[in-house]
Amino acid sequence: MYEAVHVRPDGPSTLARQARTAADYGYDGIVVRNHGDEGSPDDIETVKERVDVDVVDGIEVRADDPSQASGLVGNYRSKRTVVVVHGGDRAINRFAVETPAVDVLAHPMAGDGDFNHVLANAAADNGVRVEFALHPVVHDSGGSRVRRLRGLRKLRELVDDADAPYVVSADPQSHLAFRAPRELAALGETIGFDATDVHTGLAEWGRLAARNRDRLGDSYVEPGVRLDES
Amino acid sequence: MKHLPKHLQPRWRYLAVAIETWPDADLDRRGLQRAVWYATRNLLGDTDSAAADMTVLRFNHDDGLGHAIVRVRRGHTGPARAALACLDSVDDTPVGIRVIGTSGTVCACEEKYIRGPAKGPERRQVVFENRDRDAVARDGRVDVRTDDGFVGATDLDI
Repeated sequence: MYEAVHVRPDGPSTLARQARTAADYGYDGIVVRNHGDEGSPDDIETVKERVDVDVVDGIEVRADDPSQASGLVGNYRSKRTVVVVHGGDRAINRFAVETPAVDVLAHPMAGDGDFNHVLANAAADNGVRVEFALHPVVHDSGGSRVRRLRGLRKLRELVDDADAPYVVSADPQSHLAFRAPRELAALGETIGFDATDVHTGLAEWGRLAARNRDRLGDSYVEPGVRLDES
Repeated sequence: MKHLPKHLQPRWRYLAVAIETWPDADLDRRGLQRAVWYATRNLLGDTDSAAADMTVLRFNHDDGLGHAIVRVRRGHTGPARAALACLDSVDDTPVGIRVIGTSGTVCACEEKYIRGPAKGPERRQVVFENRDRDAVARDGRVDVRTDDGFVGATDLDI
């Protein structure tokens, strides 16, 4: 299982500290999802070689409108293993699920974002993973948490119906915001998910990273076609 | 009041919980108990929080690391884990919480999951992001004091 995390400069914990915390909490790896406009760590390869968990270089593209997002996704697609789009805006949500180059649409129900069956079907067709964001469930309370739980429920029903791929993340901004997989599974069960859904969603980050690493390799040409290295 | 007969006594499970904070945080058992009650009630509601009946039994916290034993009614450990996952601060102090194991008795819980007092932290000067800074180091984890508060780092960053 993998967790998608923010690291310094997009949070108060360094990449090495987040990786170490992930190992303590029983994760197999982390995906760095720093917001594109906040900067990325420059020591991913060094840290990856010296910690017990896998470290995947990713980015969370944050844009004001779909055309800007499109440019950023095109720019980062060949440079990063996992490309996430910062959702929470109706136009951005639609852009993300209609773009096969996007790996994950993050927190589509945040802010004034919304989702419907058309977007869920588009996500399924284009293989864009929809994120079930547990961060507000863990850190909010009262009315704002009720609204986010309502959004998560709607999203879950749409994703189930369309059989769209999904990921789960608590989106920890620091090592103190990490939560272990069993706690997240228990939390998921409390709010209406199956425990297996949460484990599948956490593991999906790892499957995504493995698939994209293969695609970024030299021998890959297109699905089903690769160069013979012999 | 007279003790209940054995078959009517409530059955408990004991959760060993690891607690992590920034090194300048000052937590106590009462604060954690209050936070556990709030987190449980906010997530599970009155009826389920009464059913889980979570109580902090043992508590230890010093220089950013600690542990506690939380008693919960048998059959309610799932909701209790979920409630603990939602406990993100104690008296406005951010905390990292992790359930490291469950046992049927306090003794077993302490022996199996809680290893004596943690090794004391080492306060030292480190060079972090090209500046000399104060830091608290323990077991490879280094919390560095910066102008914007603490930064969580490790030996690899120094």
